[in-house]
This record gives sequence, C-alpha cells and structure tokens, in this order.
Amino acid sequence: MTEQMGFLFNAERCVGCKSCEMACKNENSTPANVNWRRVSSQGTGNNLSISCNHCESPECFRVCPQRAYVKRRDGIVMININRCDGCMTCVSACPYKAPQFDLEKQKASKCTFCLPRREAGLQPACVSACHTGALSVINTDQPPKNTVPTIEGFPDIRLTKPSIRFRPVKEKLRYWIK
Amino acid sequence: MTSDVKVYRNVCPRNCYNTCAMLSHVVNGKLLKVEGDPSHGYSQGRLCAKGYAYTSYVYSSERLRYPLKQYPRGSGNWVRITWEEALNLISAKLLDLNHRYGSNRSLAYNKCSGNVGILHYATEGMFNSFGSHTKLRGNPCMSAGMDAVTYSSGGGKSPDPEAMSNSKLIVIWGANPAWTAIHQLKFINQARDKGAVLVVIDPVYTATAATADYYIQIRPGTDGLLALGIAKVLVEGGRYDSSFVEEHVVGWDSFESYLTEKVSLEEVQSITGVAKNVVELLADLYFRNDPAASWCGFGLQRYQNGGQNVRAIYALSALTGNVGKAGGDFYYFHPATDFFPLNLLNYQGPNDGQVTRTIDINYFPSQALSLVDPPVKFLWIAGRNPLSQDQEVQDWTKLLKELEMVVTVDLFMTKTAEVSDIVLPATSQFEDLDINVSYWHHWAALNQKAIEPYYETKSDLEIAQQLTRKLNELQPGFSNFPSERSAEEWVESEFTPEILELYGLSSWRELEKAPAKLRIGNKPWLDFKTDTGKFEIFSKDAKEDRLPALPRFWAGSSDPSFPLRLLTPQNITGIHSQNWLLEWIGPDERRNDVTMNPFDAVLRKVQDGDEVRIYNAQGSVTRKARLNQEVLPGIVIIYQGGKEPVNSLLSGLSADMGKKYSGSEGAALYNAFVEVEKIVRSQI
Ligand code: SF4
Ligand code: SF4
Ligand code: SF4
Repeated sequence: MTEQMGFLFNAERCVGCKSCEMACKNENSTPANVNWRRVSSQGTGNNLSISCNHCESPECFRVCPQRAYVKRRDGIVMININRCDGCMTCVSACPYKAPQFDLEKQKASKCTFCLPRREAGLQPACVSACHTGALSVINTDQPPKNTVPTIEGFPDIRLTKPSIRFRPVKEKLRYWIK
Repeated sequence: MTSDVKVYRNVCPRNCYNTCAMLSHVVNGKLLKVEGDPSHGYSQGRLCAKGYAYTSYVYSSERLRYPLKQYPRGSGNWVRITWEEALNLISAKLLDLNHRYGSNRSLAYNKCSGNVGILHYATEGMFNSFGSHTKLRGNPCMSAGMDAVTYSSGGGKSPDPEAMSNSKLIVIWGANPAWTAIHQLKFINQARDKGAVLVVIDPVYTATAATADYYIQIRPGTDGLLALGIAKVLVEGGRYDSSFVEEHVVGWDSFESYLTEKVSLEEVQSITGVAKNVVELLADLYFRNDPAASWCGFGLQRYQNGGQNVRAIYALSALTGNVGKAGGDFYYFHPATDFFPLNLLNYQGPNDGQVTRTIDINYFPSQALSLVDPPVKFLWIAGRNPLSQDQEVQDWTKLLKELEMVVTVDLFMTKTAEVSDIVLPATSQFEDLDINVSYWHHWAALNQKAIEPYYETKSDLEIAQQLTRKLNELQPGFSNFPSERSAEEWVESEFTPEILELYGLSSWRELEKAPAKLRIGNKPWLDFKTDTGKFEIFSKDAKEDRLPALPRFWAGSSDPSFPLRLLTPQNITGIHSQNWLLEWIGPDERRNDVTMNPFDAVLRKVQDGDEVRIYNAQGSVTRKARLNQEVLPGIVIIYQGGKEPVNSLLSGLSADMGKKYSGSEGAALYNAFVEVEKIVRSQI
C-alpha cells in the first residue's frame, strides 16, 4: 500500500476562524511575516485554508538549484535548511505560495506536516486546532468518498498534483430582505 | 538540547464567551507556546486564533514594561519612573484630596472586563478599603438582556451550552460564534451531524450565518417582533406546548390575546423585513423540531427596546415547551461569578460615616461631571479602555479637564492610557495567580503563575497591596485593605464549602490537576426564581418598574437627519479594543473600513475604496468605503477599536432595561445613526 500524507479540507464546515493558521504559528514559532498555513475568504462566506500540499510532483523540489527539497516515503515534502541558500526560486515557483521567505533566517521555510508532532503520535497543530472538523489528515492515495480534487478559489492543480482533497460547499437556504 | 519544558495551567480571561483553559509551555522562564487544555470539557484542547497568538501578546514589543508618567497630560512626553515614585505621586494626590474634602469621595474608578479573573476585583477591593468613595454601577454589555431574563424566569443560571449537541433545532438570534465563541460550533456541529438544523437570524451575514442551513436577514433591533410573529403563528395554529404553559407559565391569557389581537403578520413583515412565509417557516421549524435551542446574542439588546427583544424570544422558547429542557432551552448569559463570594469586590471598607456614591458606567463622564461636594478629582482606570469603547466621548474630554490625576493600569498604551498622567504596567494572565469562570459555559479553572512578571509589571492585586502599604505608611490607618493577604489566600477564600460542593471539589488545589464543572448543569430546570415560581410571560415586577408587563414590541427612535444606522460588532481579530492578534495575522483591512450597501453608496456618490467621513451630531471618523450587497440598505458597519475608534459616533441612548440586575440601564449602542460622505481632496 502506498502512502501519500495529505489534507482533507471540508469547505462546507470551515468558518474562516483562523485558529488553524495561528495554531501553526504558535506550534512552529514562525516569525511575523511567515504563515505556513493561511486562511482566506473566498467571498459570500466561503473560506479556504491552505498550507503546503506535499504535492505528488512538487514544483519546489524540481526548481530548487540547491536540491534542498526532499520528498519522503510518506509523501511529506521537506526543506533541508542547511542546503537552502535563500535564492527564493521555490517561493515564486509554488502555485500555492507554500514556501515563504523567512527574513530573519534568510531562508525558505514551509509546512513540515508538523513532523515532530507526528513522531509523537499527534495530529498536525492546524488539524488539532480546527473547531469544526474542516481540516483532517488523509492518505490521498485512497481519497475518501464524496471528495473532489479541487474547489473554486484553489490554484490550478495540474502542475503539481497537490495532496489535498475537498468537500465542497452545499447549497443552503438564504432569505435576504428584498 | 531538550531543556525542561514546564507546563502550567492558564485561562484566557479576555471577556469572551469561551474562557478557555490553556496549557502553557515554559522553557527557561520563557513562554514558548500555548495549547488548549484537553481536560476542559468545553474548550476540549483548542483555542481560538487569538488564544493561539498569546506568545505574541506576552512578548509584544508594544507591551508596557515600566511605570510611566507624562506631563502635560496627553502630550506624549512620557518618562519612565520607578514604582516607588509612582506610588508616592499617587499617594500624595490621594492624601491631598482626602484632606481637602474630608473624605475620599472625590476618588473614582472605572474598571471592567479587560481581565475577568476573580482576583482582578482587587481594584474594587482597594477602593472599598479607602472608605466612602465614588463607585461604578451598571454594565456596558449585557444588562438589558439580563433584566429580561430576570423578569421572565428569575435568572440565576443559564443552561449548559454543551447540551446543544443534543438539539434538533438551533436558532441563533444575533450571535456570531464563528468569531466570538468558536467552541460552540463544535457542539452545534455535533447536533447537525445527527440531523439538527441550524438557523441564524441576523441583520449581518456573519461567518456563522454563512455556515447555517437557514440564514434569515432581519432589520436591526426588530428580533422581538419576529419572535412575537412566530409565536402568533404557533398559538393561532394551536401548535404550542399547552401542558408546559398550563403548568409553568404566568400570564398566558393576556399574552395570547396580545398575540392574536395586537400582533399582525403584515406589520411583522413590514417592520422586520422577514416575509410572512418565512415567519411561517420559522414557526414550522420550531414546531417540528424538539428540542429546539434558542440563543440570544448581546447585539439585539443594544437597542432602546433591547430588553423586550430578549423577553419575546425567551417567551417563544417557553411556549414551545423548550425552557428547562435538555438540548432545548434558552441561552443568553450564565452569571457564574454570582455563585462566588467575590471577597475582593465585596470587601468591607472602614465606616467613615459618609456615603459612597455611584456613577453609571454607561454615562461615566457626564455623571462624574455632575457630581459636586466634592467633585470627582481622581480617576483610576483598570481593565478598560473607555476612550476607545464608551459613548459620550465629548464629555470624556470635559471630564479629563476637571481631573487632577488619572492613573491607568494596562498592558498596552491604549487610547485611554494616552490621556492619563500615570500608566502602570499590568501583568498578563501568565504572570499571576487567578480563578476564572465563564459567562457561558459551566467550568471553573485555575490560572497559575507560569512565568515571572514581564519587566516591572504587576497584577491589580499586587498594585492594591503596594499602594495600601504606601498610603498607610504616609497616613496610618488610611486603608484597611489586607495588604499581607496573598493571592493564594484570596483564592482559598472564594472556595467556600458551598462552592466546593457546587463544583464537586474537596479543595481548590484540585484545580491544579484539571478544571471542574458545575454539577447542576444537566438536569432540566424548572424551579423558576420568580415570585410566582413560574415563568412570567406577564411580569408584575416589570410593570412595577414601569415597563410593559408583557413582551411587547416598540421600535425605538431614529434620527431623520442621519439616515444610516451604525452597527459596531466585534471583529475576528480582537475582543472590543484588545486586538493583539494583529501582530501575527497582519494588517486587518476591516479595521479601516466602513461597509455599506451599494445602493446607499450610489446615493452618496461613493465608490468602493473611496475615503469617506462618517458623522453625526456626536462626532466623525474617516474610513475606507467597502460596498457589499450583503449589507442591508440603510445600515453601515464599522468594527470596534483602532486608532480612530468608532465610539465617537455612539448615541448615548439607553436600553429599556438593566436596572434590576446591574443597577442601571444598558446602553443602546446600536441606536446610533450616521451620514456618510465622500472626502474630496482639493487638488493642489
Ligand atoms: S505546495 Fe508548493 S511547496 Fe508544497 S510541495 Fe507543492 S509545490 Fe512544493
Ligand atoms: S480552524 Fe478549521 S474552521 Fe477555522 S479557519 Fe481553519 S480550517 Fe477553517
Ligand atoms: S479569546 Fe476566547 S476563544 Fe480565544 S482563547 Fe480566549 S477565551 Fe478562548
């Protein structure tokens, strides 16, 4: 059985509370300008929470001149910080803006799937923090039923095959004052 | 390299529904990260975005480190002083005023919910110990609604919000838990996973509204009338719980005839904006789903008819037989601190033969100015930022001119601190011991001292102790505050045998291991604390207080010269003016925006992104216009706080209720009306 760790994002449940985004900063002590996970509003109450998607064909990996990127057997994409020389090629190549430039360290930095937590048997900080169950960890090689490969607002997935699946927003009843 | 991580229990004390228990990870005396405490049954190991950003709050470069003094007031010429100097300056003024007026009645404080920990009542305790002085009464937040609850059911407690996970229908009337009470969504979603329906009724299409199965837009402040309309449909169709009504309700007949004779669905539709068929749909949802929980937010009682709005919704909950039913019931505010002795708040000062007087917190500056013999000359502000949040901004300016000394205790240089003479730096909750309960859930939790105070910061309690010592040194017997009593001893004194019993504890020290929950929560609750022992739809007490005996609708005033109603809800990035999240989340566009309907914008030749002036007779602020179809025509939305806060536009009107529970009426903060105009920069 192959493994590709990934995220499931249930857009129907996400309320854009940003707990995941802040829990990530709290856990990983990222500096003010670096947000490994970002929640954005997609209008009319829909939200998107994205981090690194630990892609099947990671563009970061392909473009890095220092070969600083590693794709692990479990699918997680990591940066070897010792190799990164801060050229920012990956920062501009990733369609999801996952690698970000850490001004303090002068290096690229991104989501590690909370590897140290994972080794301790814990969920990533963002998943543990999510109040609505909108974020969860899945093996994207066996995508759960009723999930789709992309939703509106998510960047083009053709280039990198991101390890993320979605549950789309359902129609709901709205009674506006006319 | 793994240095020892010490884990402490803390509680977020920020005047938030959730009062989350946290685990703080400390290495070498430094707070490295915070986590939710999994043993807290309500927050269950999670925090909101603000909670996860607490290390940025504690170590913010903006945080105050030392006592500061400025001269002249408001000049920004701050100089660092020692605590010794600060205490000497303050004591000298207190004694001077005491000698001048022969009492301490010229001393006033303004203190509220910046930190809702029980030991933060040290400020009130300190003032009590001066003998007669000028006290605060009323509440800026929930008082109108609290009276509505008290008239109806006698108050006392609110159901366990965890029970919402067993509701079949959840109707949120004007609350936005996605931004202000995020944990509640977990229980709501548990119910939805079992098939429950979530309805949100709100003038604003909030993040919570967006997630709901049904969103019903309503005109601001008309919720009570919608509830009466739903009640009318149910009663006329015989679809109410007649056995509940017979057994537990007082005044049914007069309410029934009021509904049938006086409430018309045409009027409900024209005033609330909710179409007749939607009123019927809501009635149907209430009828078909059992149990049905109704949750009333604080916004809909910030109107001149605010208390009546809450009474009407509560009455709807009663006639559908949901009051007192697990998974159903009516949610508003859980007065948890009322169970405690609150020994600091109620500390008995010396009897100096003079009478302590009070100022209404919602009209603080005008009432302070009106006091004579002696006038108010000294003001102590703690846990509050009135210059950013309160109405009567112009009166604040006048009052400041009359005051001889203003002392503010805070963690940051707030709008209010900026106009003080002396600013004393306060500890965060990670730096002092405390006990916290919530005004929503049923848990009590211990807040330990996890790290040493940041630089020279001190807690309200420590400040009270040190100022007392200084005063008594200069004038023996000036204050009877027990300055030797430690924080632990104050905590100990709160846990009377009754409190221990209520929380199922043998000692408060058990809270070092895990938070504890009230043991009265899950039982259905029908022992109403009213005089009749019943749910009073017809309230004699209300009538005696010159209010309608029945929940009736009255629209409140508007102001034709300022046609747009101003709503000032909470933003996601902060709690009122406390918004430390910005350091991590980045600049928050919403803070500088006024959101309005494109229709209103076109009338005023305003385009999206234009700089506009929002003004009325009270004041004026500038913002960037954001046009949004989802905003009701006739309404503009501005979030609280920031550099040019919106409080200068508040009306100064009162809600209908508030006296009974809090000592004075609530503030009708949403009865504010404004006009918007585009700012045209003259070309050079
Ligand atoms: S999301 Fe971006 S950084 Fe992450 S693996 Fe894919 S291409 Fe690389
Ligand atoms: S924590 Fe969950 S609900 Fe909140 S923004 Fe993140 S994914 Fe959405
Ligand atoms: S602000 Fe509220 S939800 Fe957030 S951590 Fe504090 S108590 Fe919890």
